[in-house]
Amino acid sequence: MAQHVVTMLPGEGTGPEICEAVRLVIDASGVDIKWEYEEIGLGCLEKYGTLLPDKTIKNIAKNKVALKGPTTTPIGTGHKSANVTLRKVFDLFANVRPAKLIPVLKRPWDTIDIINFRENTEDSYAAIEHMVSDEVAQCLKVITWPGSYRIADFAFQWAKANGRKKVYCVHKANIMKMTDGLFLDAFREAAKKYPEIEIGDVIVDNCCMQLVRNPAQFDCLVLPNLYGDILTDLCAGLVGGLGFAPGANIGDNCSIFEAVHGSAPKYAGMKKVNPSAVLVSGIMMLRWLKETAAADRIEKAMFAVLDERKHVTYDVGGTATTDEYAQAIVDKMHAKA
Amino acid sequence: MATTFSEAARATRKKKEIKLVGVDMYIVTEQGIPTFPDGEFGPFKCEFISNRGTKVWPGFVSPDLMMVNWYRCRFMSTRDVNDSDVDTFLSVLTKKGWWWSAAQKLWTHDGEAAYSKAY
Ligand SMILES: NC(=O)c1ccc[n+]([C@@H]2O[C@H](COP(=O)([O-])OP(=O)(O)OC[C@H]3O[C@@H](n4cnc5c(N)ncnc54)[C@H](O)[C@@H]3O)[C@@H](O)[C@H]2O)c1
Repeated sequence: MAQHVVTMLPGEGTGPEICEAVRLVIDASGVDIKWEYEEIGLGCLEKYGTLLPDKTIKNIAKNKVALKGPTTTPIGTGHKSANVTLRKVFDLFANVRPAKLIPVLKRPWDTIDIINFRENTEDSYAAIEHMVSDEVAQCLKVITWPGSYRIADFAFQWAKANGRKKVYCVHKANIMKMTDGLFLDAFREAAKKYPEIEIGDVIVDNCCMQLVRNPAQFDCLVLPNLYGDILTDLCAGLVGGLGFAPGANIGDNCSIFEAVHGSAPKYAGMKKVNPSAVLVSGIMMLRWLKETAAADRIEKAMFAVLDERKHVTYDVGGTATTDEYAQAIVDKMHAKA
Repeated sequence: MATTFSEAARATRKKKEIKLVGVDMYIVTEQGIPTFPDGEFGPFKCEFISNRGTKVWPGFVSPDLMMVNWYRCRFMSTRDVNDSDVDTFLSVLTKKGWWWSAAQKLWTHDGEAAYSKAY
C-alpha cells in the first residue's frame, strides 16, 4: 500500500486537541500516512507577522492535500482570515459539505443525505468593500461566469461519479438578476453535458424553508459563496449539529479537508469537544485518496460507538473526553478486525 | 411627524474627517495582468492589482489561480491630492488606452482606511 504524505494544520483553540484525537483514529485504520505538521493562525502572527506563513503554503503546495483543524479569526482588525487566504492562494474553488444523517442520532427526519457544493472564492467574499460616504458602505458582490461554470461542472462531475441523481442550483436571481442570474445561467450551461442528471433551481429563501420542512427532497445543491456559507450551517443543524459537519475545499491541484465548525475557544484545553466533524472530514480525505476500506472502517466504528452512547462527548449527551471517544473508536476497529 | 427616530439617531453620529488618498480602478483587458510604470501617472502609484478579490500583483501568483478579464487596480497618492488630480489621472489612463469599467475614490475617515485590502 502506498504511503500518503499529508499536511496537518492543527489550528487553534480546540483545534490541536481535536486533531490529535483524529490522527489517533486515522493511524489506527490501517492507512499509511506520513503527517507533516505546519502552523497557521494567530500564533503565527506573533512569530512571523502573518496568519499564514510561507513555509505552510509551500508544504501544502508540495503535498497537495491537507487536514485542517479550525482557526480563530480576529474580528474587526485589519487581518484577513487565514481560511479565506488559504482558499484564495490555492484557488480552492469548491467547498463540498455533505450533510448526512447519522443513523443513531435521533432527529425528526428519517433521511437526510445532501451534498452542498459551495462556490468558495467569489461573491461578497471577494473583499471589495468601500465606505462611499461617511454613512454608506458598499460591498461588491462579484460573480463571474467562469467561476460559476466551474463550481457547477464540479458538482455535476461529483454527482455522476458518486451515483447522485439530482443537482439543484440555489440562487436569488429573481432579485439579483445580473449576479445570481449569471450564476444560474452558467449552471444551466454546465448541465448540458450531464443529461442523465435531473436539474432544477430553487430560490434561497424558499430553499431554507423546504430544508427545514422536508430535507429528504434534496440531493445535491450548488450555491454561491454566501448562501452556501449559511445553508451549510443550517444543514449541519439538521443532521446533528456542528460537532458532525465535515467539509472539503477542493481546487485543481490541492485539497484541504476541514470541519464546518470554528475553534470553540471557550472549550480550548478542556478536551471535551466532539472531534467527529474533523474525523468525518478525515474520512472524506481518505475517500479522496482512494483509501475507501480505511474510510469505511472508521465510519462503521464511529457509528457503533455513537450507537452505544457509552463513550460519547457532551454535545451528544455523554461525558467522554475527546480522547476517550477517539480511543473507543480505535478499540471498536480493533475488535472488529 | 417632523423628525423620525432615524433622523434623530443620525444627528448623533460624529462627522468624520474625510481625506482623499487614492483610487481603485476597475480595468477590463484581455492582455493579462496590467502594468503601470511608476512615474507615468502623476501623483498616483499602483499599489496592488487583484482579480476576483485575490492579489495578483505584486508578488507570487499561484499557477492554480483562475482569472477573469476584470482587474481591480489600486492607485494610492504619493502626495496630497484633490478631485481634479483624479480627473487628470483618469484621462491619462484613457489616453494610454486602458478601458475601465469604473473608478472608486478611496478615502480615509479620521485617518483610518475606509476601504478593504485584497487577499
Ligand atoms: N474553519 C474555521 O477555521 C472556522 C470556521 C468557523 C469559525 N471559525 C472561528 O472560530 C472562532 C469561534 O467561532 P464561533 O464561536 O462562532 O464558532 P464555533 O464553531 O467555534 O463554536 C460555536 C459553538 O458550537 C459548538 N461547537 C463547535 N464545535 C464543536 C465541537 N467540535 N464539539 C462540540 N461543540 C462544538 C460550541 O457550543 C461552540 O460554542 C472564531 O474566531 C471564528 O472566526 C473558524
